[in-house]
Amino acid sequence: MSGVVTGCGVVSAAGDSVAEVLAAIRAGTAVRTDVHDRFAEPLPEAEAPAIAGFDVRGLLGRKGTSFLDRATALAMVACGRALTDGELTPDDDNRHRIGVVLGTTTGSLRSTMDFSRETLVQDKPYLVNPVLFPNTVMNCAAGQAAIRYGLRGVNATVAGGPLAFLYALRYALNAIRRGYADALLVGGVEEYTPNTAWAARLTDAGPAGEASAVYLLRRRGAEAGGARAEVLSVATGFAPDDADAGLAGCAGRALAAADVRTADVWALAGDDADGLRNVVPTTVERLPVRPALGDCQAAAGALAFGALLARCAEEPEQAGRPALLTARSRDGGVAAAVVRGWAGGGDDHR
Amino acid sequence: MHRVVVTGLGPVSGIGIGVDEFTDGLRRGRSAAAPITSFDASGFPHRYAGEVPAFRPAELLRRVRVAEWGRSALLAAAAARLAATDADLPLPLADPGRAGAVIGTTSGESTVVEQLVADLVAGGYPSMSARSLRQAPAERLAYAVSAELGLAGESVTLTTACSASNYAIGYAYDLLHTGEADVMVAGGADSVCRWAHAGFYRLGALTERQCRPFDRDRSGILTGEGGAALVLETLEHARARGARIYAEVLGHGLNCDAHHMVAPNEDSVAACMRLALDNAGIKPVDVDYVSTHGTGTPANDLCEARAIRAVFGDRVPPVSSIKSMLGHTMGAASGFGAIATTLAIRHGFLPPTINWANPDPELPWIDPVPNVARPATVRVAQNNGFAFGGNNAITIFGAIR
Repeated sequence: MSGVVTGCGVVSAAGDSVAEVLAAIRAGTAVRTDVHDRFAEPLPEAEAPAIAGFDVRGLLGRKGTSFLDRATALAMVACGRALTDGELTPDDDNRHRIGVVLGTTTGSLRSTMDFSRETLVQDKPYLVNPVLFPNTVMNCAAGQAAIRYGLRGVNATVAGGPLAFLYALRYALNAIRRGYADALLVGGVEEYTPNTAWAARLTDAGPAGEASAVYLLRRRGAEAGGARAEVLSVATGFAPDDADAGLAGCAGRALAAADVRTADVWALAGDDADGLRNVVPTTVERLPVRPALGDCQAAAGALAFGALLARCAEEPEQAGRPALLTARSRDGGVAAAVVRGWAGGGDDHR
Repeated sequence: MHRVVVTGLGPVSGIGIGVDEFTDGLRRGRSAAAPITSFDASGFPHRYAGEVPAFRPAELLRRVRVAEWGRSALLAAAAARLAATDADLPLPLADPGRAGAVIGTTSGESTVVEQLVADLVAGGYPSMSARSLRQAPAERLAYAVSAELGLAGESVTLTTACSASNYAIGYAYDLLHTGEADVMVAGGADSVCRWAHAGFYRLGALTERQCRPFDRDRSGILTGEGGAALVLETLEHARARGARIYAEVLGHGLNCDAHHMVAPNEDSVAACMRLALDNAGIKPVDVDYVSTHGTGTPANDLCEARAIRAVFGDRVPPVSSIKSMLGHTMGAASGFGAIATTLAIRHGFLPPTINWANPDPELPWIDPVPNVARPATVRVAQNNGFAFGGNNAITIFGAIR
């Protein structure tokens, strides 16, 4: 059984729609936002592919938002948009069947490091602000989104860095197939902070980006409105010694599970897909995220998926044709998904 | 659909490393509580934790290089190695792509992140160590397990805080049950760290020296750490290789409070128990023992006990909290609960709730198996896990039929 996507919510440096994500990816040049005066702390760069003008209070209101960290707020906004876009209103009859599955890397590295820092620099190590303690747990964003929208179903957070969205998608697909949920908000979030900016710089992964992209995944047949895309299969693996072969194997398993021939794949979305050059012909359209939007880590796969949706929406003849979404990490994690976009897959619902 | 069984146990805990020591610790009601050594706790009013000072990763690990991984990954990998050895798993597996790892955690590589914080305080952001930055991502906990055992299938870390091991066991169960895999190593790992100690202290949830779940005068959690791993297999796979079978995984349940980030919710916890029992195809009357979340905070134990009564009515089975012995091992907690539950079924005893002195007049229906392990026939047992974010997860285990 597959899952169908009936809504999306995006907050990105390229804009708040999958069409703008696709346009930025197609342009292929790095999105630049002036960040030089965003933080009190120094940054390794004056411009970065960071979201401009994200107004938490304007988007989520004043109540209960003053202690949210940026990653949590970004996730909450994207979740709300995906629910609205998918025309799903949680109520007392359905909220126990609606859940959240979000991808992460380390949660909010800034929240955790700032909290830990207080234990070193305060007069006493326990003089931390307890209100900020929940921000240090990696399931903070998913938990807060559930509270805000009243979602009592399966609520999970999956760590995977560049693979996080594909892991989340597979986890969510299982929950839907097993009948644990009727609808799940599936996505990835990453914030731009001095911590991530320096981490990316110091590990040669930069520049750091940021984004939140969330999709409403529903059991096939349970969708109310039109399906924007269908997730046919997700395969993952661990291949530290030969990640190229591992990724090719993953793609093969995902295609077999979806009953799709490699020759029918019309697009390949995601970064670091070189390992598939002998599997998917180089003539097949590529949609890499990093050149335009930086290292968005756990949000990268979610942005790539959005670009695929937008691509299908603008080219009706590709509707229903299968595309591959892939990811890999430097540690050897590999993953691939087979998805089909439909003509209504863009942002035309909003 | 495939039946799923437990064939190997790997505890790395403050009451014992390896299944024999851990079983002995549970039977004797050993306590891991001791003065903190993993960081300078002298400035804290409460300076006890359930650490694993005897953990020597290099003595347990065969494939992964200790210097390349953070402490939590090493705890996970060592637990997995112990579990694989206990299961007599033939490594390398004939089909490694059909075997994987699912590991739960609360704070991931917390000691690595705290090292980065120390770098930052000493010399600013540019002083952060690139090596530590590469070790910090939480997904490396599962990767360490896969690398140690040479597993090529799914390798996923679930960061659903203090119920994360139950999430991991539940997901691994599903992958086996639906035929996606033959063997999965599932569990969790976390390390004691300053920030969690400080956070729980400031929440007023930290006890001074002893964790006393379900006691009238319980005063909070004892922070703890460890690695817990179980080898799960399809029944066919276990039987085909002649494996010793400890118990069967009967099912699991997940839900979310959607109510408060920190405070537990009685109705939601009860609903999660019903989901788990339904998923396992059993009724409350079938349950012989509940391994509770039992943190030892006034709020958790009251909420959990009331939810248990709501579900079990007049027939509440004996319950106990192994956190009285281990402390709160965070993402590993429900993994240790699963191991204890499995051992209870296999060996016919109930692990005790130690440090228990006075019944709580608000919880007269609770039999916490006070202080001394008790012989008992356990056919079906329930293992509770709850977490920040309202992430409830419960697993159900049964004797193999």
